[in-house]
Amino acid sequence: MKQSKSFFDLRKITESKIFYPTVALFLILLFDLIIIPGFFHLEIKEGHLYGNLIDILRNSAPTIVLAMGMTLVIATGGVDLSVGAVMAIAASTACIMLNPNLIGLKLADVTKEADPTYSASPLLLVFLVPLIIAGICGLWNGILVAYGRIEPMVATLILMIAGRGIAQLVTNAIKIIIYNNTFLEIGNGWVFLLPFALYIAAFVFAIAWFITRRTSLGLFIESVGINSRSSFFSGIDEKKIKLFAYVFCGICAGIAGLIAVSSIRTSDANEVGLYFELDAILAVIIGGTLLGAGGRFSLFASAIGALVIQATTTSTLALGVPASAIIAVKAVVVIVVIILYSRQVQDFVRKIVGQTKPMESKS
Amino acid sequence: MMQNLNANLYKNRRFLPVAATIVLFVIAYALGAFFYTGMREVHTFLTLFITSPFLLLSAIGETFVIISGGIDLSVSGMIALTSTASAALLRAGWNPWVVMPLMVAMGAVIGTILGVLITYMKVQPFIATLAGMWFTRGICYIISDAEIRIYDPVYKLLSGTKLLIPGLSDPVTKKGDYVTILVVFSLIIFAIAIYIAHYTKFGRTVYSIGGNNGANEQSARLMGLPVDRTKVLVYTFSGVCSALAGIVYSIYVGSGHGSHASNGYEMIVIASVVIGGTVLTGGVGYVFGSLFGVLVTGLIQTLIQFNGTLSSWWASIAIGALTLVFIGIQSLLVNLNTGKSGGLKSPATVEARRRQLLSFGIGAVVVVVLALLVVPFIQNAINKSAETSTSISTRCQRQPFRPDQAASLIKDGAVIAYERNGGQKCVDELYAIYPDGRITGDNGTQKIEKQVTTAEVDKLLLDIDNYGWFTDNMYTTSHNPCEACYTYFTTVSYKGQQKTVEAVDGGTDAPPEYFYITGDFTVLIPGFAPAP
Repeated sequence: MKQSKSFFDLRKITESKIFYPTVALFLILLFDLIIIPGFFHLEIKEGHLYGNLIDILRNSAPTIVLAMGMTLVIATGGVDLSVGAVMAIAASTACIMLNPNLIGLKLADVTKEADPTYSASPLLLVFLVPLIIAGICGLWNGILVAYGRIEPMVATLILMIAGRGIAQLVTNAIKIIIYNNTFLEIGNGWVFLLPFALYIAAFVFAIAWFITRRTSLGLFIESVGINSRSSFFSGIDEKKIKLFAYVFCGICAGIAGLIAVSSIRTSDANEVGLYFELDAILAVIIGGTLLGAGGRFSLFASAIGALVIQATTTSTLALGVPASAIIAVKAVVVIVVIILYSRQVQDFVRKIVGQTKPMESKS
Repeated sequence: MMQNLNANLYKNRRFLPVAATIVLFVIAYALGAFFYTGMREVHTFLTLFITSPFLLLSAIGETFVIISGGIDLSVSGMIALTSTASAALLRAGWNPWVVMPLMVAMGAVIGTILGVLITYMKVQPFIATLAGMWFTRGICYIISDAEIRIYDPVYKLLSGTKLLIPGLSDPVTKKGDYVTILVVFSLIIFAIAIYIAHYTKFGRTVYSIGGNNGANEQSARLMGLPVDRTKVLVYTFSGVCSALAGIVYSIYVGSGHGSHASNGYEMIVIASVVIGGTVLTGGVGYVFGSLFGVLVTGLIQTLIQFNGTLSSWWASIAIGALTLVFIGIQSLLVNLNTGKSGGLKSPATVEARRRQLLSFGIGAVVVVVLALLVVPFIQNAINKSAETSTSISTRCQRQPFRPDQAASLIKDGAVIAYERNGGQKCVDELYAIYPDGRITGDNGTQKIEKQVTTAEVDKLLLDIDNYGWFTDNMYTTSHNPCEACYTYFTTVSYKGQQKTVEAVDGGTDAPPEYFYITGDFTVLIPGFAPAP
């Protein structure tokens, strides 16, 4: 009796969305523990923690933020390819508001250019306006998908292609260096031993969790993702739900863009957020939300998915693989993850943990 | 009359996106020819083909994948991997006629693996091919971090040979309008692809699989068509096309590196296919249309170059806008076919949709043409406001050439004076190469010196001569450089002849041989320490 009860528990654990990403993260860290000496070394320098683990947390902040928005979009059965481009647009907007002198659009005191306290617009606006613009980008995607009835992958592809051009249009294709100290704090600051960006990521996670799990919105999103037609018939305004998901994803992309541009200190429309859409989608998939099918989602699993990606990157770097070759390692991880999630392997796992009935195919 | 036209239009509605693309291409080209005299030359038209044989090859493979209802993002990575791997093998002394089939085989294998993952492991095409793109690009950097130049005579022959067009050229002096072997090759593959798509079992199966949100695949399966095998073969075919594109690319640029075909090349390929009238959800499309899709994306870049005041990033905005327009046409078409969203397909709805579609199509063409006319004015206004302000307009200012200094260096006995300006950091480097192997460099603030062998200098000079430096094929081009592009000012003195040619990176109007030569210089010249 006791035996079967424990089996039941095991099954429950393996079916939880958090199980696979956590196992993956654990395996990667275990690998680091054995192969790379001193990987887990932590020390306190200048009042904050230093070490590879902190690096992972800090560098994964933009991906976590993106993954929150992307989870909701994918849960509605869509996908947003434009987040990288939206990050670039938000970053360019913030930089142009901080310092329009640098592209020569405004006559102003040039000596203030490198002043660490100088900002052309009120700082609150520097943070808010890019987020509003990113929200508008999300709205554009949402309108195309929900009201234009265009395939999500296709609809967001448009902004993905055009977005970087728009970002360069904003700054006239000039790379703007950021001198403002307050703005630089977003990506480089520290609070209570930990990087500030991590608090932003936690904040976004908390908001996303609250609006989806403490209101009925999360349930609606899942229902739209599973079957948007029957959701419509049961009184859910599926179009508005989809629109909300894309706008939220756009705003998340805006926040991630601010973090990214603040940590690299230069607005470079070609570099900010490059390939981030892929990382974000990957994080969500590792988190167990089904791309193309939607339905049940777990924000926490997506966040762990983002950590898995960053842990892979950091440990590959620590192994001494050239930075440019990391994508090959990432690709192998993706393949392994998708094979792990494939029906064949899932059935196999079920067989091991004692479930006799094979899983129904989702598609 | 109108009724007749309407009925015809309805009957041939599948051709509407392709027809719209061709009309758009003709109108845009005509407008360009109206504004810029340079575009009236046959050479400019041929340049559209000469600069994009690899894009056409990638687009052919992508068309098949998209018609089958999938998507292939690995095309750009495959180009990078093929170019790097072939360059590395050629450097190791392999025979090029062995390397090329080997690369095609590699493309087929990688494509098949992706196809198997997608078909049998039920991995989303987007994710599997994305992983393929990352993997191939990453492997490039494991093979070599630095760019590998190709010196193989066969590759140089393939890139350098000009097939003069009879009637438009003079066979005696070998001048006039020409196409390259690569163009002819890509067009042959294009013809074969059209045959495969429309006249073989495989091609028809591909059409039957795609579209209707996976329902068509189900029907095809019930009809007993070999769905799984065809799906795998589609990706194999795309892999072969990408490998061919990679070989052509490496011949075209004369080198192999992991950063080749980056910056959203796969997106341009997909956009070209969509603009060419293939529906992204599959089932509908023509390989023939993709040729025009490629030509339209090339034309956008040509127009921007001829305009001169427009920055190169307008191209991505324009391509994005065009993609939107064509997706709009397609989604209306799909609705028209299935009567979706209306439920019942009453004649009135069909009529209304048809009208909506027609007005949307015409409206789209009008909008695009208007945009082509209005955008330069906006850009001019932006430029003016930037110029009138007195503050610094860029963070780094492109330095002017130093022709006097170059001339005096040549006078002092240098055989080559090579100046490179601009780039990401706005460098201003002037190098002089002497016959005894001495190379001096001067970037305005510091000087640098390097010694190479006299044999290397002799070989370099011979190469430059062979590339046709002293012929009319090497001409000065000086359109507005893009933001991070280099501008070059090169003087060569060899066997009593002396000639100076200026050129700009990132332009398509400069002879490709020029960039082989600057590439050869890059290998020889010493590098300056980065500025503090």
